[in-house]
Amino acid sequence: MSFSEKVFIDKSLKGLTTFVIPTQIKDVVTISGSLKGGEYHAKSYNSKIASLSGSMLDKGTLNKTKHEISETLESLGADISFVVSNHHINFTAHCLSKDLETVITLLSDLLQNPSYKDEELSVLKKRLIGNLKRSKEDTKKQASINFLSELYPENHPNARYSIDDTIKMVENVSSEDIKQFHQQAYGLGSFNVVAAGDVDPDKFNKLIIGELSNMQDQGINLKIDTPAPKESLQNEVRFNIIDKTSCDMFIGQTVNINEDHSEYYSLMMGIYILGGNFSARLMQTVRDKQGLTYGIGSGLAGCSYGVNGHWYTWGTFSPELLNEGFKATSDQIKSWYDNGVKAEELSSKKTTFTGSFQVGLDTTSGLVDRVLTNAEKGRELDFLDNYNELINDLDIKKINEAIKKYIKPENLTKSVAGSID
Amino acid sequence: MSDLYHHIRSSQGIEEYQLKSNDLKVLMLKDQSTPVATFMVTYHVGSRNEAIGYTGSTHLLEHLMFKGSRNYNKEKGTAIWDELQSIGAQINATTWNDRTNYFEVVPSEHLEKAISIEADRMRYSFIKDEDRQPEMTVVRNEYERGENSPFDVLDKNVWATAYQAHPYHHSTIGWRSDIENVSTERLKEFYDVYYWPNNATATVIGDFDKEKTLNLIAKYFGEHKKSEHKIPTVYTEEPLQEGPRRVVVKRSGQAGIVAVAHKTPEGLHSDTHAIHLLGKILCDGKSSRLHRKIIDKGLATSLFMYDFPFKDNGLFITYAFLTPDTEQQVVEDIILNEYDSIKTDGVTQKELDRAIAQTKATVAFSRDGSYAVASALNEAIAIGDWQFYTSYLDKIKSVKTDDIKKIATTYLFEDASTTGWFIPKN
Repeated sequence: MSFSEKVFIDKSLKGLTTFVIPTQIKDVVTISGSLKGGEYHAKSYNSKIASLSGSMLDKGTLNKTKHEISETLESLGADISFVVSNHHINFTAHCLSKDLETVITLLSDLLQNPSYKDEELSVLKKRLIGNLKRSKEDTKKQASINFLSELYPENHPNARYSIDDTIKMVENVSSEDIKQFHQQAYGLGSFNVVAAGDVDPDKFNKLIIGELSNMQDQGINLKIDTPAPKESLQNEVRFNIIDKTSCDMFIGQTVNINEDHSEYYSLMMGIYILGGNFSARLMQTVRDKQGLTYGIGSGLAGCSYGVNGHWYTWGTFSPELLNEGFKATSDQIKSWYDNGVKAEELSSKKTTFTGSFQVGLDTTSGLVDRVLTNAEKGRELDFLDNYNELINDLDIKKINEAIKKYIKPENLTKSVAGSID
Repeated sequence: MSDLYHHIRSSQGIEEYQLKSNDLKVLMLKDQSTPVATFMVTYHVGSRNEAIGYTGSTHLLEHLMFKGSRNYNKEKGTAIWDELQSIGAQINATTWNDRTNYFEVVPSEHLEKAISIEADRMRYSFIKDEDRQPEMTVVRNEYERGENSPFDVLDKNVWATAYQAHPYHHSTIGWRSDIENVSTERLKEFYDVYYWPNNATATVIGDFDKEKTLNLIAKYFGEHKKSEHKIPTVYTEEPLQEGPRRVVVKRSGQAGIVAVAHKTPEGLHSDTHAIHLLGKILCDGKSSRLHRKIIDKGLATSLFMYDFPFKDNGLFITYAFLTPDTEQQVVEDIILNEYDSIKTDGVTQKELDRAIAQTKATVAFSRDGSYAVASALNEAIAIGDWQFYTSYLDKIKSVKTDDIKKIATTYLFEDASTTGWFIPKN
């Protein structure tokens, strides 16, 4: 039986697709869902309106106070959480199968009837700003923000704001802003829900469709504009944070490719051979042989939803070993670019991918994540059935051509944060 | 069943065997939900078995166990990471106070490879000086990454203050100078003392054939003899604490942290389950007592407590990550007042029911996937009895409100406390 044959799909309510995967686990269900409309879609006015709209959902509805919500969930041992990413409003729930109806009813109330009270927003903003201030001492976060700021202009979907700018944005959000965003973004249209575990598909669909059938259609503009990234130049950003014993370093550049491009998987595999896992080149040399870092890796990011993204290499080094670590990393990148990848490396990584796919199906979270991500990208479920074939068809010649075509080693951006001055 | 094993006991579908030839213990739980199996070997050695001069050795040795063994090494083109990652396995190892574990989550058809690798490195790891030298700096960077975090630094200081004689005094990663200077000979000695079949438990969870797997374990691990020496035990006991202790860490940072810790009994003590529920009533979830009094008031960005059961005594610690203008003393007072309130007035049945429901769901989800089961068993093995895992829920359900009040009074008293503050320096 193929993977897709184990999934029950329902599209009977326009604008909502449900995927239900019954498994042999007893008594528990994991549910994840999303709708388009993340921080990017609020960017023209203030992207934090979107994230706060999600964080405020469990702070009270028109029907229940925040304490009634938490007591209902916690008395069942269940949880519901919301995260607003760049492109989506996401939610996840875990519960015992016997409590499914209560949890779905509550989830529906949280999504459709938030009260968005001023006093709750005020406390949440204070906590969020506290977290943002704390993240100023986070070497990885600072190196990452500076790296992306060098690659993308401010209005690009992959751009990131500085922590100080983000704090200002949070300070400026009002409950009226959030209510308005909620009215436009929270609705049917791009709504996907996936459930896996000890769950009956008919019962689940009846519950969720019954609860969401009164939602309006989304009124938010979901178009993604992708301005050109900044011109790639060889440059370096250094950010000093005192009292840090380890630095974070990003190296990379934008790539003129996204997941829908025919050469994407060739480039992705080429980069995976460089730094996709422990047995890839960077970990085997810079860590295992030379002992310069605890962790180093390389990958593609920001390439979904038709947006061209970037290639990055990330590693951590003590300040004393930073220069040596950078040189060792650069040597590996140069060798990889100049000489390409080898057939035996490709052969090994192909089986890594196909085996990982099988291992990833071992948990209800692994199942829902895989199906939801696939749906968010607008793919049919048979993409997952054909995934191993897609990987097995990758060709060494095309991979090395993709590396040469998309990577420009003479124009790398480097960003380092830590106690470096 | 194979006549190579003694069947020891069974509980909730989990079967325990012992290999007759060398006393290796084997735990098995069959679950054919997906064609995946987890193989894990737990050694009864952790940072509790270390002393001054070689703190962090258990963890450093764990790293060296990936560097090569008789049949799995780079020279033969069979390096452990390559062999396992090329089949898509999830692979890693972890070290903690009471145990070290090595595991592989594999497509079922590759289970034999995982068994073969773990058996080979149980007694035939190379542990070469030429491997230790670069790996020392790898581990040092792991230590440095931890030191970047004010929470990690405060947590190390709280344990080091609360425990003076017992080796829980030092964290699993060890002290920096010990990581840098411990000799390869010392690590090899450590390996030769503790890495034996009679000091280990192999756990298999997921989709496998029982008879075939028992035979494979016997085939690969059966070549090892049991140790000729008795595995040493830790005899150091922590002296009675006779007064409150405080520790302050000042460092560059943006916001403060408060930790309030109290000594708890050994993990297998009958009070452990009530202590767990007390932690949930105080800190787990948005309706918990401290969440309402600290988070809802905007005094902290987040809050959590941990009370992991260990082989010896542990700590019941509440951590609060303060918002920038909040003073440590304010939050410390709120935490202690809430403890006092429970000691005086106890908890309600509703609070207890909620904490039990939360635990029931956690236990149900601990069966979600073969790794989750193996991981939970691993911690139970570490404290001395794998049935701690299978009996956990029944014992949780038997806790009464009076038990919570009693254990709060027994353990949360001032003279057994250690309080830690992180104070950010601008």
